[in-house]
Amino acid sequence: MSEPAPIETPSTADSPALRITGLVKDYGEVHAVRGIDLEVRRGEVYGFLGPNGAGKSTTIRCLLDLLRPTAGRIEVLGLDPRRDGVVLRGRIAYIPGELRLPERQTGHQLVAAIGRLRGGLDARRKRELAERLDLDLSRRLRDLSSGNRRKVAVLLAFLSKAELLILDEPTNGLDPLMQHEFLRLVREARETGVTIFLSSHVLSEVQRAADRVAVLRAGTIVAMGTVDELRGRARQRVEVWFRDEPPAAELAALPVLVDQLVEGRHFAALLAGPIQPLLEVLARHPVVSMLVEEPNLEEAFLDLYETAS
Amino acid sequence: MNAAGRWAELVFGPLRSSWRASLGWAIAFVLLIVSTVAFWPVFKGSAALAQAFEVVPQGLLKAFGFQDFTSPAGYLRGGLYEIIVPLMFAAAGVMFANSLIAADEDAGRLELFLAQPLTRRAFLAARGLSVVGWLAVLGIVVLVSQLASDTAFDLQIADARVVETVVLCSLLGAFYAGLAVAIAGLLARPGLVLSVGLSLALVGYLVAALFPLSEVLAPWRQISPWAWALGGDPLVNAAEPWRYAALAVPALGLALLGIVAFGRRDIRSA
Repeated sequence: MSEPAPIETPSTADSPALRITGLVKDYGEVHAVRGIDLEVRRGEVYGFLGPNGAGKSTTIRCLLDLLRPTAGRIEVLGLDPRRDGVVLRGRIAYIPGELRLPERQTGHQLVAAIGRLRGGLDARRKRELAERLDLDLSRRLRDLSSGNRRKVAVLLAFLSKAELLILDEPTNGLDPLMQHEFLRLVREARETGVTIFLSSHVLSEVQRAADRVAVLRAGTIVAMGTVDELRGRARQRVEVWFRDEPPAAELAALPVLVDQLVEGRHFAALLAGPIQPLLEVLARHPVVSMLVEEPNLEEAFLDLYETAS
Repeated sequence: MNAAGRWAELVFGPLRSSWRASLGWAIAFVLLIVSTVAFWPVFKGSAALAQAFEVVPQGLLKAFGFQDFTSPAGYLRGGLYEIIVPLMFAAAGVMFANSLIAADEDAGRLELFLAQPLTRRAFLAARGLSVVGWLAVLGIVVLVSQLASDTAFDLQIADARVVETVVLCSLLGAFYAGLAVAIAGLLARPGLVLSVGLSLALVGYLVAALFPLSEVLAPWRQISPWAWALGGDPLVNAAEPWRYAALAVPALGLALLGIVAFGRRDIRSA
């Protein structure tokens, strides 16, 4: 068993934190991942979004070399997870999506065990993290709630001094206060240059934490970009209250408006393109009030799904 | 922290978490041995019992280890070391290996550990050593309780014969543990590891015990690990060195097969 290299070589220092090319993972007839291409820059928080069964955990487990890809190439911190696994895993911290901890151990015992495997952990930082997460490490893991067990995993990840945190559904079971604390930890880690690959189906969490996002559906990436870009791709909800009857025919002729609804003097639709044509129509008619709702990421997300399916 | 520290954690960590199961096995062994030897004074030199056994065919007596039952070696063989103790060692070996490898993987408990800076092969090798460690502890428990019971109940047998017999039984357990490691390395199926491991242990006994009753099958008795371990009647005769190797080498080979397979396949998640 070799020691993890504490200092990276110049050849890997300039590489992206993650580079996935044509990743495919099949389980017999089941195609879990169908050809993913992805690049995560060093020092960014990258959101990996998708519902259960989209292939997020499968992709992540390939990064850790827990699964062997059917096809494709993976580079993590410039290294091959299979060939350089020992060195690489010394520079990565991971929170599994399906978290199962040794039940008979206490939190302290587990942290100490992982510390011995990783070559030591900072005791002062451990106390600080336990305090921030309101976590009692002296209790047996089997006696902890699922949320508190998740906190143990969060503590281990942020205690590790890893260059890359791979977090699979890290806030599952955490209460809102702890989710907030988790996001603070993510921001603090990013400020110190740590790269964070954050898989989640909790859109608000990714929206608040991530610089860029990839949306996964049925093993394929259906969208990729910054949070703002994704939001921009989604359809905005438009509502207009006219003084008189809405100009239904003129509005119906606008291809950027979908799902149009006219009820009395009220008009509602989804805007799937530039707003200028709508404004030109509205300028010719007396308008009492108007509302354009910017979509949140959740709507963008659902939109992308509908489009992809 | 160096590689030795990691190895220590990998080997002793599972020992710490599975001590309750081992304590259960140890208590079962002690109770079995003490309660069996406690009745030795009743059977010692019993002419009536010897006469009763005379009407039973010798082949059948040998199949169950009851030949010469009124002698110290015969009593220990028939009461403990022909079937029950070796079978318990085999079952303990299979169950320890299953619990620390296949069951842990099936439950998703390996994921966090395999994400640490170590190779899968080192991880599985360490778990195998943990299994060997528990079998060694059980061997010592059996040996100490046997020697103490012999003294307490005046069962006169050479300590060397007891030591060799217990070591061979422990190695039989290691053989079946190696088999379980091989299956667990190939597949994360705890039900399969248990059923195949325990079934083969039982088949091994039946082959060693019953094949000699048939002239046709008798030569095939030697395919059984039970014959390698106990075929020389170690409570009576000094065991040949090859018997130890015949158990230890395949155990190691099977474990290596499991370790190599474990390094090549996908790890199962919860």
